[in-house]
Order: sequence, then C-alpha cells, then structure tokens
Amino acid sequence: MLREALATAWAAKVPSTLVTFLVATMCAATLATVGRTAAAEEQLLSRLDSAGSRVLVVSDARGDELISPTIVDQTAGLSTTERAIGTIIPVDVVNGAVGQGATRVPAWGVHGDLADVATLTSGRWPGPGEAIVTETAMDRLGMQAPVGWVAQASTTVVDDWAVVGSYTPREPFSDYGTGVLYVSPQGRALDSLHVVLTDARAAQAAQGQVLRLIDPPTPDSLTIISPVSLAQLQEQVTGDLAGFGRTLLLAVLGGGALLTAIVVLADVLVRSKDLGRRRALGATRGTIISLVTLRTLGPALLGAALGTGLGIYLTHRLDATPPWQFTTGTATLALLAALAAAIPPALYAATRDPVRVLRTP
Amino acid sequence: MALAVENLSFAYTRGGEELFDGLSHEFVPGEVTALTGPSGRGKSTLLYVLGLMLAPTKGRVLLDGVAVSSAPDAVRSRVRAHRIGFVFQDAALDPTRTVLDSVVEPALYAGWSLSRARSRGRDLLEQMGVGARADHRPGEISGGQAQRVAVCRALVTDPAVILADEPTGNLDRDNATGVLAALSAAAGGTEDGGVARTVVIATHDPFVIERSGQVLSL
Repeated sequence: MLREALATAWAAKVPSTLVTFLVATMCAATLATVGRTAAAEEQLLSRLDSAGSRVLVVSDARGDELISPTIVDQTAGLSTTERAIGTIIPVDVVNGAVGQGATRVPAWGVHGDLADVATLTSGRWPGPGEAIVTETAMDRLGMQAPVGWVAQASTTVVDDWAVVGSYTPREPFSDYGTGVLYVSPQGRALDSLHVVLTDARAAQAAQGQVLRLIDPPTPDSLTIISPVSLAQLQEQVTGDLAGFGRTLLLAVLGGGALLTAIVVLADVLVRSKDLGRRRALGATRGTIISLVTLRTLGPALLGAALGTGLGIYLTHRLDATPPWQFTTGTATLALLAALAAAIPPALYAATRDPVRVLRTP
Repeated sequence: MALAVENLSFAYTRGGEELFDGLSHEFVPGEVTALTGPSGRGKSTLLYVLGLMLAPTKGRVLLDGVAVSSAPDAVRSRVRAHRIGFVFQDAALDPTRTVLDSVVEPALYAGWSLSRARSRGRDLLEQMGVGARADHRPGEISGGQAQRVAVCRALVTDPAVILADEPTGNLDRDNATGVLAALSAAAGGTEDGGVARTVVIATHDPFVIERSGQVLSL
C-alpha cells in the first residue's frame, strides 16, 4: 500500500508538489511567526525570572528591631525562598592602616550564609569581627591584597574588622560590589530582610508569610519592595504572547490545511477514473481512503522537512530561534494538519459511485 | 463455479425505468456468453451488477449459490478482488505506471505479495504475446496490446468470473480476434492450464456474438 501510494504520489507531480509547498509554507511560516513569538516569550520569561526580579525586601522603617536573626533564619526555611539574608544599614569604613581621613567605602553587616550574597575569589570566608572586600573596594582603600584591617570611619565608634578575603557579589546583590561585607554581630537586630524567591509568581504568598513572621505592630513599621506587580505583569505578558501565538498558529495551520484539502480534492476529482478503476478491481473503501491519505503523506513529510529547515534558517537569521520542542511540534502539527486535510477528499473518493466514472459514453 | 441471476431488476433511480424485468439466468462456465441488445437496454449495467458494483433493486446475483449481491461493500470488494476479473472498453490502464504494474494491481488488492503478483503478471503477459512490453507505459503500446494487457489484469488473480465491457469496441478486426481468442482461452482455462471460467462479454459486435458459446439478449 505504501509503495503504491508513493508511486502514485510520484506520478501525480503537480498535486504532490503543491502539497509539499503548502506543508513547507505552513512549517516555515509558523516557525518564522509563532516560533519567533515563542522565542521572544522565552527570552522575556528568562529576563523576568532572573534573580533580580524575584527579590522581596522588607525594611525596618523606624528602627524598632523588628527583624531578628531568627526571623531571617525562619524565612530562609520557607519553601518559596531560594535565599534569605538580613543586613544592617551600611557604615563607612576606611583602611585601618591608613587611619581616619582615608578614602571611605561602605560596609554591610550580613546575617545568613555569606555564600548567598557573594562568591569568594581569594582568602576565606570571614568569622565574627572579620570582613571580605571587593577588588573595587581594595583599590579605593589602597590595599594591594585582601589583607589588613578596616575601621569604621568615625571618631566616636571604634568598630574594626580584619580583612580575610576578597569577593564578587552574586545577583541580585550587585550593589555590594563597591564595598566590604562583614558578619553581623551575634543577636544584633537587622535593618533589612532580603528574600530571593524561587519564583516571582510566589511573591504574594511569600510576602504574606514573611509579614506573619515579623508581625509588625503597625503597617507603617515596615517598608516593602515586592515583585508582586512584576509577577502579575509577567503573567499578563506571557498570557498575551501565548494567546497571540495560539491564534496565529491556528490561522496558519488552518489556512494551510484548507488549501491542502482543496489540492487533494482537486487531485481526487481529476483522478476519479483511476480511483473508480481501483474500486472495480477490488480495492475496498478503506483501501481508497488509505491510498489517498498515504499519497499525501510522502509530499507532506518532504514539505515538513524543507519547511522546518527554512524556518530554522529564518529564525536563526532573525536571532530568535524557537525552542526545539516548538520546532518538532510545529513539524508534527503541520504533518497532522495535512493528513487530516486529506481525509475528507479521501472519504469523498471512497464513496463515489465507481460505475459513474468508469462508463464510457 | 456457477454465476447466476434470479428475478433480477435494476433501476438507476427510485421509481425510474426498470431494466432486466426480473431476469433469471445461469451462466455456463467454460463458455463465453455474449450480452447483446439495443443501446439503453442495460448491457453494461448488467455487467456492473454481475460485478457487484451496482446492487440490484430486485432479485439477486448468486456466486456458487451464495447471494453475494446483498453482501456489505467490503465483502463485495473482496469478492471482486479474488473471484472477478474486469476488462473495460478502453482498457483503463494507469498511464503513469508500467504495463506490469497495471497487471498486478488486482493481485495487490487480493493480498498477494508483490513478487508473487509480478511473477504471475509476467507469465500472463508472455502468454498473451505482450511480455516484451511489460516495462512500457500504456502510451507506448497499441490499442490491441493494451486490451490484451487488460485481459492479463483480469486474469492475474485467477478469478472464476471475467466480465468484459465492449472489449473489442475500439479495435480493428485483427486485434479484436486476438482479444476474443484470449478471452475464449480464459473461459476454457487453457491459457494457463487452469479450470473453466465464466466469461461474460457485453457487446453489440456481430463478430463477437458469432464466436460466443452463449448469447443472452436483453
């Protein structure tokens, strides 16, 4: 049957070429339009899902010591939390060896796992009374290497920290790239809680959980910077893009399938005598349906391969290559659409009266 | 193998003119039966009814005593593929395929393997004197050769019944003689040493009628 179908497809070059062209156009057009949208959606999602857009920051607005180290630790244990740290309002520090009057850099006290905030580039992680510095801060402090000590730039307060290593900040803590990080003193209340969420869409729930842990006496005791509205925007944008893509996909595949059906129907009408002869010679209706459908399969497969290749080339040139799942899905859908389009003409061919087309006037 | 009709009538439309008027007839295996009659009396129609492509409005078609005319379409198709061979007026060969491909077509519908069908097809083409044309296209052979190829196609599954619709209508006398000889040989089973077959030819050609063993006038 397959051999017979391929042989007749080869013999009927015009309809076969048209089916190949239509399926190739379906694939290429889908990849170049919907695929591009899918690629854009993926890029947008990737940007919207970066760590910077998943940060919830809760600050103690009036210095009421509402954010304890325990709350930070509890927040770190929430299922919606990827990372959580508490920070103390930064103070200015100078190179202790140079003394007061030297160039100042900011220093942040951090409670939590410092590895959540920074990547160690040399030395070791600091303990209590110790600090790490960035390359930028070292330059400004006049340090050749991350050794020595820094002191608070104040004539009254005399805190100081031994420098034991250097670091680069991790996203979304790039603000800490210009200064010094030190371990927050044991039991010291924190000024801000930074929570990197696992997913921006969990922002609403996570915010509620954190507020329940802090339990502020009045709503204005805290200031909150939340990604909730960003998450809503993300859902809206991706929803809009997906809806647009779906509509476009249906239009391209539907239009292509309709044209394929017309081509196959025209072929069936032109070859009605051939199909009538087959019925007279013993072909069942099922055989005729299979023959017409399989006759469409060969050119459709060729069209899907050519169209996918062209679509990938076009999207690659436009720098918006869709995900491979979308590409293979498009080829499969175009193929299925062409086969589905061949079924109504095949049914028509199978149910035509063979005597009517066979009789010679 | 006996092909017979009982009380057969047929109308193309409900309430339209009835053909055959309750015809009952048993066709004799081993002989060529000529279906004759004036135009419009239903010679070709009776052939298509015998070939199970049209269902009678009254009566039935019997093959070995079984009323095959009332069977479902799929069964009638299988009967056509295995037990009935057709020869059409214009040969009706696929112009895009080789002669051999056309000959083996019914065998494929009957479920034969391609190699078996091709082997049988080549043998038949040799016997009919057109073996050298096996790999030619129908456009590259003469009308007489095409009709002999059509007879080969009708014989390829070794059917019990062969139905031919004006097979000599478009042929000159020499070619008509050749085709008729082939059909007579098929009726006697002499073309391949097989058993006798029922051969029915719808025709108005006196040449064919004179050489037929039986004549059924409509």
